[in-house]
Amino acid sequence: MNSCAIRIEDLSVAFGGRTVIDNLNLEIGQGGPTFLLGRSGSGKTTLLRAINRLNECFPGCVTRGQVSLQLGGDWVDAYAPGTVVETLRRQAGMVFQSPNVLPLSVARNVILPLRTVLNLPADECEARMEQALRDVHLWNEVGDRLAAPAASLSGGQQQRLCLARALALRPEVLLLDEPTASLDFKAARQIEELLVELKTRYTLVVVSHSLSQAHRLAEQVFVLRDGGRVERLEEEVFRDKEALLAVMDELV
Amino acid sequence: MTPAGGAVPTRDGALPRSLLFAAAAVSALAVVAVFAFLLWFSLPVFRGDALASLLSWRWQPLRGQFGILPMLLGSFCLASSALLLAFPLALGVCCFAHGAGPVRAARPLLAAVRFMTSVPTVVYGLVSVFLLVPLIRDAFYGSGFSWLAAALTLSVLVLPTIVLLVDAQFRQVQAEIGPSAAALGFSPVQQLLRLTLPLSRRGLAAALALGFGRAVGDTLIPLMLAGNAARVPHSLLDPLRTLTSHIALVVATDSQDLAYASLFASGLILFVVTAFVHLLLRRWRGQAA
Repeated sequence: MNSCAIRIEDLSVAFGGRTVIDNLNLEIGQGGPTFLLGRSGSGKTTLLRAINRLNECFPGCVTRGQVSLQLGGDWVDAYAPGTVVETLRRQAGMVFQSPNVLPLSVARNVILPLRTVLNLPADECEARMEQALRDVHLWNEVGDRLAAPAASLSGGQQQRLCLARALALRPEVLLLDEPTASLDFKAARQIEELLVELKTRYTLVVVSHSLSQAHRLAEQVFVLRDGGRVERLEEEVFRDKEALLAVMDELV
Repeated sequence: MTPAGGAVPTRDGALPRSLLFAAAAVSALAVVAVFAFLLWFSLPVFRGDALASLLSWRWQPLRGQFGILPMLLGSFCLASSALLLAFPLALGVCCFAHGAGPVRAARPLLAAVRFMTSVPTVVYGLVSVFLLVPLIRDAFYGSGFSWLAAALTLSVLVLPTIVLLVDAQFRQVQAEIGPSAAALGFSPVQQLLRLTLPLSRRGLAAALALGFGRAVGDTLIPLMLAGNAARVPHSLLDPLRTLTSHIALVVATDSQDLAYASLFASGLILFVVTAFVHLLLRRWRGQAA
């Protein structure tokens, strides 16, 4: 395993008094992708959102424990009083299960966060937008219709646009919540190929329901069980499809 | 052609469908009937000299002058000035509750605004008669019953209407973009200023239009506070009379033929203005869709 990039200690998350994650401990290595598997409702998305403190956007959330991320060479305690949550979220970018483009043009989807969050000049925003769209292989498809509404793109293109939007902010960690769940086979394959390219530059944490995806792409796999317990799978297990299936049957 | 959703009508669904259709038809007919009623009874003033008299600046029924233009202007002035005060205030309240202010303050603030909607209009009027009118009288001149007194009170009356509409619009936009914007590192204030407000343009215009309709249609506040002089106001401290209070006053005090008929013309104008505002809203929404 690569050196640790995210350390989670004694993490508990509850919504409206209902515990979703209970006393969870986990170390996620740099690069990856690290896959989080488990049944629906086992707390995978909550765990992902605990890393960038996005759970706080939902009512009744109480988080206890510690989440530390290695950002810019330093360890940052996500829940320390001095941590600026907006900076943390920019450095730990997120892509959601459904493509969540802003109801703006293709270009504005990437440029507006750069202008607002980083206060970059217009020419730098343009340059970063083009680079990010090239990184996700979208430039050739949408370069001539940047002013078109982002919602007019196909589902796969929208998801890649969301990825480009996160990449343009130059994060160090990318949190991907079932990024291929709402896509067709071809679009899902494009995202998977992107993950392989991006793993050399970012720490990738991926929530997925696809065992075959984990089998093909993962460098590290954790299985979340009901009650928030977590099991780390050895590489020989998730590299062997049959063994992975057997273990998953046993664990979830 | 099958009904909406492609559902085949069943015997179980036929009765509710008929009842709903009947309810919708009765509602639509009632609106048409109100329009026809107003049009029919105001017909006498649309003939010959009477129309010229109606569209004049003098209301002196004993001299045969039935001009309602001062009241039309009064309605417009009062509604516009009340909106000029209420709309920015409502926008400020909503911005405060949706990111610009502390989260804990948002809920009690909106609860207080919702409570304001349940206060009867006459209470606002009465409080203003005893608190605001003397204040204006002492601070400036005249009786205090003025455009200013009515505008200030009317702005308080329409404020909750606008706040609730803008709040609903902000909620809708923030539900759509909130988690995405937060995940990109937008602060609540940035989210509000750079996304929620610009994306709520049509909703804000709708709130403005509905607020105007509410202000134009109110009767009690101008009746109790505006002084009701049937002439054009030259300053905020002058009295004015609106179409609504004009109808209420003349119905109570006058029964001469043409004066009475002019009330129906006033009602017709109010009806048309309100209908126009709603048609404008429908057009905006249609374009948005």
